[in-house]
Amino acid sequence: MAAPLQLDRLYDDHAQAIFALLMNLTRSEADTRDILQELFIKLARSPGLLNGVRDERAFLLRLAHNLAIDQIRRRLTREKNCQSLADDLDSAFAVSGHPDESAFRLALAEALAELPAEQRAVVHLKLWEGMTFEEIASALALSVNTAASRFRYGLDKLRARLRPLYDEIK
Amino acid sequence: MKDDNFEERLRRQPLRPIPSEWRGEILGAARAAASSSRQPASTSWWLEWLWPCPRAWAGLAAAWIVILALQYQTPPPRKAEAKDHANDQPSKTMAIEERRRELFEVLDLLSPTAATAPAKPPAPRPRGQARSETAAA
Repeated sequence: MAAPLQLDRLYDDHAQAIFALLMNLTRSEADTRDILQELFIKLARSPGLLNGVRDERAFLLRLAHNLAIDQIRRRLTREKNCQSLADDLDSAFAVSGHPDESAFRLALAEALAELPAEQRAVVHLKLWEGMTFEEIASALALSVNTAASRFRYGLDKLRARLRPLYDEIK
Repeated sequence: MKDDNFEERLRRQPLRPIPSEWRGEILGAARAAASSSRQPASTSWWLEWLWPCPRAWAGLAAAWIVILALQYQTPPPRKAEAKDHANDQPSKTMAIEERRRELFEVLDLLSPTAATAPAKPPAPRPRGQARSETAAA
C-alpha cells in the first residue's frame, strides 16, 4: 500500500485538477466524487502504479479520463437518453456574483455539455490545464494531430454556440 | 470575435473548487479499501505459490488430461496374454504347496513329540563310504 503521506500529497497536488476535468466530463458532482474516490482507491491498492511515471499530473488525468468515459458509457447504456444528461447539469465553473459573468459561465457549461466527451476533454486540458497538444496527446493516448483537431472542432462549436452572448457582454 | 480573445475569455473562467470535506472522506475510503484488500497470511501462502504462474498450472493440468485420455484409449490386453497369465497360476500354486509341505516337515522335526518318537533308521550311506569304513576296521 502507498504510504499515507504519499496519498495525501497526491491528493493535495492533483485532486483539484482531476476534479475540474471530471466535472467537465461528467457534469455531475456525484459521479465526479465516485470517480475520484475510485481513482484514489486504485492508487492506494497499487502503490507501484506511479513507479517510473515522469508526469504524475498527466498520468492521473489520463486515469481519471478513462474512468469518466467508462462512467459515461455506463450511464448512457442505463438511461439511453442523452437529453436527460444535459438537463441534469452540475457546472464545472465557480459561481459568480456578477449576473453577466454568471450567465456566460452557465452558457459555457451548457455548450461544453453539448460537445462529445473526447472533444470536451481536449478543450478542458488545453484551456484550463494549460497543456500543450503533445502533453494532451500523451495523457489521452492520442496523436498530436488528433488532439489539435479535436480542440479546433470543439472550440469552433463553442464559439458558434456562445457568439451571441459573448458579443453582447463583451 | 477574435480567436485569441475568445480563447482567453474562456481560459479566464474560474473553475469550481473541490469541496474541502471530500479530502478526508476520499483518503479515508482509499486507506480502508487498501487495508481490506490485504489477504490474511493463512490463506495467502498458497495463492502466492499458485497464482504467479497460472499458465504453468493450466499447462500441467492439460498434459495430465491428455495422458489420462490416452490411457483410457489404449486397447485392452490380448486374450493370449491373458491366457498365458492364467496358465502361470497352477504352477505357482504347486510351488506354494511344496513350500508349505516342507515347512510342515520342518515344524514336525522341531516339535517336542519328534524327540520321543522312535529314531528313524539311519539313511543308507553311499557304498563308497561303507567300503572305506570296513577297510579301516
